[in-house]
Amino acid sequence: MFALLKRDLYLALYSSSSFFYTSSFFVLILIILPFLFGTNDIQLQVLFKGIIWIGLSLSILLTMERIFNADYEDGNLDIILQQNPSLETVIISKYITHWIVYCLPLFIILPILSFLFYVSLDNFFLIFLNLLFGSFGMVFIVTFVSALTLGAKRTIFLKAIIVIPLFVPFLIFGTNLESWPILLALSMMSFVLSMYVSAYGLRLYVE
Amino acid sequence: MNELKIEDLTCYRGENLVLKDLNTKLKSGETLVIRGKNGSGKTTLLRVLSNFIKSYNGKILFNDQNVIEDSNYRYLFNFVGQKNSLKDNLSVKNNLKLWEIIYQKNISYSKLLEDFNMSHLVERDVASLSDGQKKCISLLRLNFTESKIWYLDEPFVFLDEENSQILIQKIKNFNTNNGIVIITSNINLQNTFTNEIKI
Repeated sequence: MFALLKRDLYLALYSSSSFFYTSSFFVLILIILPFLFGTNDIQLQVLFKGIIWIGLSLSILLTMERIFNADYEDGNLDIILQQNPSLETVIISKYITHWIVYCLPLFIILPILSFLFYVSLDNFFLIFLNLLFGSFGMVFIVTFVSALTLGAKRTIFLKAIIVIPLFVPFLIFGTNLESWPILLALSMMSFVLSMYVSAYGLRLYVE
Repeated sequence: MNELKIEDLTCYRGENLVLKDLNTKLKSGETLVIRGKNGSGKTTLLRVLSNFIKSYNGKILFNDQNVIEDSNYRYLFNFVGQKNSLKDNLSVKNNLKLWEIIYQKNISYSKLLEDFNMSHLVERDVASLSDGQKKCISLLRLNFTESKIWYLDEPFVFLDEENSQILIQKIKNFNTNNGIVIITSNINLQNTFTNEIKI
């Protein structure tokens, strides 16, 4: 598993734009807000709680093609599956890489963005916890959808139609500042579902 | 002395019967060329032999051990499929580095690329290479494992005369070192490898 993890992180490093895509996208979505709704402190604080979830959802959704599809299309998935007979280790490795490459940068810039949107320190920690636990679950969801739709080309809209309704519980609870335990529970449920369905999707591909 | 035996191999893909009662036997140092029309099941056969496809009837035995039950079998073969397994947006060197990590083997890139006289391409982006050059680099994966069997799916596609000869020589060298090779091909290789079956 560690070899695959290292390989995926190196791949992200070599295509260094990967690290910056999501965070730039995330920042751009947030920058648009003051233009649309003005710079009133209270209004921005309220909007910030919601819009960061939309930013996170879109960032994770738009990068889901890179979980399995990129390796499937160029043939690397065969090598990965030959070298890692346990599908579970492949899937866990993909969770970790995807989170590190596409979610971690968002958490690094989150303090700066919160400061710009006049978010208090107490609220910042709660938002951070909510996003942290929610992001795990969202990565689990896109991973299993990515595995299930492996080989289907140019189906980002189909994938979005499948994924967005599954994100809704995270968005509903995510905007409530003290619901991180619920988000953690949702992520744990997503993990169980995702492991099973992702393994099934990969097995279908192999067969 | 190693032996790969295929006994009464039958495989369905969905409703379609792709392979029917296939029997053959290969010993160390032998190469088998599988020929057949498009869609006749050549790639399926290699994927079955590589243990990717596990739902089939019949037996595949390596040294009398059923490969489906042998957890070490995956270390014994190297499968190079029709896809090049290369990341277009990366340089040749970085692609080789990724293979090095996944195969957990350190290798000298320049020495490796010399095999196909491609040392000068090491810093080039894969996207800028021709299909033939990509194929040659893809075949370098054969050097990343100490395998006993090579499964090569259409390895001569896109290769020019010179690189085809280099590949043939590599296969013969592997045979000399007791390796078993199974190749699928649409082109006639009977002058080079006499052991051929049609499916």
